[in-house]
Amino acid sequence: MMQGAAAKARRIVSRGRSTLGNLLALSRGIDAVTAFIGRRVAWLILVAVLVSAVNASIRKAFDLSSNAWLELQWYLYGAVFLLAAAYTLQKNEHVRIDFISNMLTKRTRDWIDLLGHIFFLLPFTGLILYLSVPWFLKSFHSGEISGSAGGLILWPAKIMVVIGFSLLLAQAFSEIIKRIGVIRGDIAEPYAGHDSPPAVDEAASGYTKGERS
Amino acid sequence: MILELIAHELAPIMFISVMGMLLLGYPVAFTLAAGGLLFFWIGVELSVFAPGEINLFWNLIQAHPDRIYGIMYNDTLLAIPFFTFMGIILERSGMAEDLLDTIGQLFGPVRGGLAYAVIIVGALLAATTGVVAASVMAMGLISLPIMMRYGYHRPLAAGTIAASGSLAQIVPPSLVLIVMADQLGRSVGDMYVGALWPAAIMIGLYILYIFGVTLIRPQWAPALPREARTLGDGVWSLVAVLALAVGVHFATYHTIFSGFTYEVRFVWSVTTATVFALGLSLINRQFKLGLLSRLAERVIIVLIPPLALIFLVLGTIFLGIATPTEGGAMGASGALVMALIKRRLNFNVLNEALLATTKLASFVMFILIGARVFGLTFYGVNGDHWIEELLLGLPGGEYGFLIAVTIIVFILGCFLDFFEIAFIMVPLLAPVAEALGIDLVWFGIIIGINLQASFLTPPFGFALFYLRSIAPKQAWLDTVTNKMMPEVKTLEIYRGAVPFIIIQVIVVGLVIAFPQLVTHYKGEKSGIDPNSVTIELPAMGGGALTMPNFGTGTPGNEGGLGLPPLDFGGGSGNNNGGSLGLPPLTFGSDTPAEAPEPAEPDAGPDLSQPPNFN
Repeated sequence: MMQGAAAKARRIVSRGRSTLGNLLALSRGIDAVTAFIGRRVAWLILVAVLVSAVNASIRKAFDLSSNAWLELQWYLYGAVFLLAAAYTLQKNEHVRIDFISNMLTKRTRDWIDLLGHIFFLLPFTGLILYLSVPWFLKSFHSGEISGSAGGLILWPAKIMVVIGFSLLLAQAFSEIIKRIGVIRGDIAEPYAGHDSPPAVDEAASGYTKGERS
Repeated sequence: MILELIAHELAPIMFISVMGMLLLGYPVAFTLAAGGLLFFWIGVELSVFAPGEINLFWNLIQAHPDRIYGIMYNDTLLAIPFFTFMGIILERSGMAEDLLDTIGQLFGPVRGGLAYAVIIVGALLAATTGVVAASVMAMGLISLPIMMRYGYHRPLAAGTIAASGSLAQIVPPSLVLIVMADQLGRSVGDMYVGALWPAAIMIGLYILYIFGVTLIRPQWAPALPREARTLGDGVWSLVAVLALAVGVHFATYHTIFSGFTYEVRFVWSVTTATVFALGLSLINRQFKLGLLSRLAERVIIVLIPPLALIFLVLGTIFLGIATPTEGGAMGASGALVMALIKRRLNFNVLNEALLATTKLASFVMFILIGARVFGLTFYGVNGDHWIEELLLGLPGGEYGFLIAVTIIVFILGCFLDFFEIAFIMVPLLAPVAEALGIDLVWFGIIIGINLQASFLTPPFGFALFYLRSIAPKQAWLDTVTNKMMPEVKTLEIYRGAVPFIIIQVIVVGLVIAFPQLVTHYKGEKSGIDPNSVTIELPAMGGGALTMPNFGTGTPGNEGGLGLPPLDFGGGSGNNNGGSLGLPPLTFGSDTPAEAPEPAEPDAGPDLSQPPNFN
């Protein structure tokens, strides 16, 4: 009977493993998608820079101004920061106030992250997504156009909120799966270790990379 | 009973709870948003107990998508990625290295020369890249080893580098000033003009401090030995070229360009003089004429790109040719061209710079989103009133308030990033400052200088972290002198920062004591209706006049916590109408001084003035 219980426990563990295995595969899939999108939209910054510089020069040189070009800049920027939010989360780049958590053990921090993902991040992204879908649809169906003369149609900007928060919600699930995996010891810590604040590490690594190239 | 008590004290409870949640170390953006939503729910449930104080109801939550959209629709914040991108590209183009090498040579023969060079290069980098991390790291990697090699007092060397690198916080076009302008509802251009004198005084005091050290402790800051001056002497020919250039400037100013308006004349004559000096140096180098010393030639060639960029960005903004956002775009394009000319630009560099910019932009904007979710609830539970009463109760009126704010911001700055302070604290402090009749640009600059000081304050000062991350942690063999050098101790970095923190405190004191150091911006405006910048303009409170945004397609451009669209079922804004931290006089007329601008105005530096009244 003891043996039976042990075997049963093993079976449950292995089933747990394989469920988690599937979930980890899902998490990898989500990460791949959000990283792909995040890395692509970054180039829109370059487009926004060029649009803004050219627009300013043309306005000065020929006294021509177009609201559409001005609005295009913030459409692009909105797309960048909303669509890259999930990627930024995946890279652990959303800033934290970490002077207390640095004193906690790794395990406590893992739990804070897990509970934070479940109780802070999920409700927030879920709610905004829930609210923004009808808000976007209303704009889409009414063909709403920006108030300024020659302005652009608005729904492409509004759909960025919907897409951005959908990606963020998906990333939240992926982070929860990964954090459970880390706590159970199934996967290694996905974030690199830090001796200094992440922003400093990032800048330092960027700098030394820049030096080498 | 207990619920009633909680309902009446919901604002302080909410504030303290959410701040406590932030300390858990979960990302700030999501913690703020979750705290806002949690207390929204609590507030709605408890609103029956304190009907006059809690103005929250379920439908209000539908304002969130529009409030996020309002953040997107913000021309000022667009400057953040532009300037960040420009800074990273400049960092990769090796401008800091070139400047340090050359200016170090120029000042090398003087006692304390390397320290002066670090301060001057720090100021130049601050005025172009505006990124503290890049400046501190570049100078730490290049100058720190040289300063140690030639026997500089180590804390002095470390402190000078950290402090000079942090100048990027306050010297225009700093991101701090952009964010502050957005949060205070002032124009970025005014912020930049207002910051000029305080920044110049600060740089002056840094130099004075080094000068004092060379008098009292000459052994702390020795001159470079002769064999280390690879560019040789020849300061006089540099002086001669500079004199010639100034001559060209005055000559063209009074002849060729005399037909133009003041600004255009000035810009063109300066440009001609600069092109003249550069042309002379390039011709001298190309044909080996030997008219100029090698030192003079190098200095001029190296100084031109940063000066050109400073002109491209700040010059165009100050002259009203470009908005700060466009200035950032021009600067970023200029940086790209510069990096291309220096052959430092390739796909990888560009890709990495864009990714770093994207991640920064994303976390900054999401803190702002989180702060606005928090703000909807916090204003709904009359949190702004609570803060106002708390701070207006301080003794000493205007100065008591400013000193209290200085201390609060300085302490917070030791623990928090400036984005958090700007997005959480500043919107709460601004209405109080406004109620006391404090000029908000002046107020913003005071906070900016404070934040810079906190960048240098151990143990959490970011500049110190940046320097620590690249300073040698182990003893190393110096190849030039063939001596073993001991590692840089963290305590040495901390000790070196202390005199510079004192300097910052002095500058804060000066700016508080002499507001005209900042407020001269009002007199220097060109081409702007002075009415559009009167102090009485409601800044944060502008949103109170905003119509509800639901689906109108003209989202409010409020900053920071912003204000909830206060459509409490029609005109029931009983104690909210005039109470959002605004002096009553702003409601005296229904046409505020600033004309309601279209969402995308087309010219002039006041573009960055958030159109609060749409």
